[in-house]
Amino acid sequence: MKANSYVSVGSWQEAYKLLKASPKNKIIGGGLWLKKGNAQVDTLIDLSRLNLKKIEDKGAYIEIGSMVSQRELEQSSLIKGLSNGVISEAVSQIMGPAFRNVATVGGSVYGKYGFSDLIAVLLGFEVELQFYPSKTMSLEEYLAQPGFYDGILTHIRIQKKDARAFFKKVCLTSLDYPILNICITKGEKYVVVVGSRPLVATRLTKTMEYLNNGGSDFKEAARIAATEIKVGDSIATKGEYRKELVKVYVERGLEEVNK
Amino acid sequence: MLVKFNLNGLEKEVNVKANEYLLDTLRSIGVKSVKKGCNASSCGVCTVLLDDKPVLSCSILTVRVAGHKVETVESIQEEAAKLSECFSKEGADQCGYCNAAFALMVHALRKENPNPSAEEIKEYLKGNLCRCTGYQSQQKAIRAYLGGEEK
Ligand SMILES: Cc1cc2nc3c(=O)[nH]c(=O)nc-3n(C[C@H](O)[C@H](O)[C@H](O)COP(=O)(O)OP(=O)(O)OC[C@H]3O[C@@H](n4cnc5c(N)ncnc54)[C@H](O)[C@@H]3O)c2cc1C
Repeated sequence: MKANSYVSVGSWQEAYKLLKASPKNKIIGGGLWLKKGNAQVDTLIDLSRLNLKKIEDKGAYIEIGSMVSQRELEQSSLIKGLSNGVISEAVSQIMGPAFRNVATVGGSVYGKYGFSDLIAVLLGFEVELQFYPSKTMSLEEYLAQPGFYDGILTHIRIQKKDARAFFKKVCLTSLDYPILNICITKGEKYVVVVGSRPLVATRLTKTMEYLNNGGSDFKEAARIAATEIKVGDSIATKGEYRKELVKVYVERGLEEVNK
Repeated sequence: MLVKFNLNGLEKEVNVKANEYLLDTLRSIGVKSVKKGCNASSCGVCTVLLDDKPVLSCSILTVRVAGHKVETVESIQEEAAKLSECFSKEGADQCGYCNAAFALMVHALRKENPNPSAEEIKEYLKGNLCRCTGYQSQQKAIRAYLGGEEK
């Protein structure tokens, strides 16, 4: 990664002013993806002093600062207590602990990575993203927008729900990127999510409609899922194989959340 | 940029560029126990402790450790020597390139979870690759070091 300068900012105003000063100025979360992509940055903007390393219980939701590391998220008792700890479980499958001590929640969500295990599991919940200056949008809305929002991700808010939940990361070796990830939550309603298609995770609306209108044949739900999902080929596998995986794991996931 | 940090109990001051990584800084000031492997956040041989937590020094900018505590295997000499004994008893050593990182990971694991199961050890160490051993003998050595029988 190239970077000409680095500023650990002391205020939101300073951070935003720097971000706006040049398209080559970038916020740095953990910096792992900036390094991986060999980013050519003018000024790196570090938010470490802005008190964003907090996970807080706000009653109806849990608020997570964007500089919280993946490891802190995974180990948080608030997160472990949410819907049989599915978010912790999903995050714990990303590389090793020394990696997760560096990678941040903000960098992981902002980046909209197709393979993201965190995004896939978060889509199983109602999640709101808060940006500076004052913009709030749902995670779904953010993912649907082309490109990246031109602001600073400050917090994500996960609405609490007591759901039965299932997460599966399918990969060729345990340190590899997933070739598919699936999250199913069953609270008052079902939410079915498939990611790493290789496009970014998405909710399967037809499958959810079937299940939320009383459909109880899991094989049929899995068939609908494999029909509606839009998949593609990647260097690791073919789209057709992804569809087969969707069939298998949606059925298994539904069995799991109904145990 | 001038960066001050604590390295293995001693205050250090280094002059670095904005995009210099901790791994390169440490090696440039003579700490050669920290190894460069993939240099792409994937193999774990560059692991050091930052404020007691294991991190990948190939991926942490040196400017970010200003005011913090960094430890390499030199700060856990006694433990590393004991772990080494267990490694040699189990034939878990070949080239030794990954050993310092393994020692730091085992140290961190013991602090977080003094009594880990075999599965927990495996999970904790899964980001640390060893191209020689195939991991079985290392797992046995680490279990022996942690004082655990099979759990
Ligand atoms: C080798 C490797 C393997 C990986 N494997 C997996 C895997 O198996 N599963 C998985 O889910 N993920 C995986 N990832 C992705 C990883 O988990 C992180 O999601 C990713 O590195 C981004 O997090 P970061 O903190 O490093 O972000 P950074 O690199 O710091 O930032 C990423 C982008 O987000 C921007 N940004 C960061 N924070 C903010 C903010 N607060 N506001 C606005 N913009 C911001 C940056 O400017 C940059 O453009 C892998 C990454 C690597 C490098």
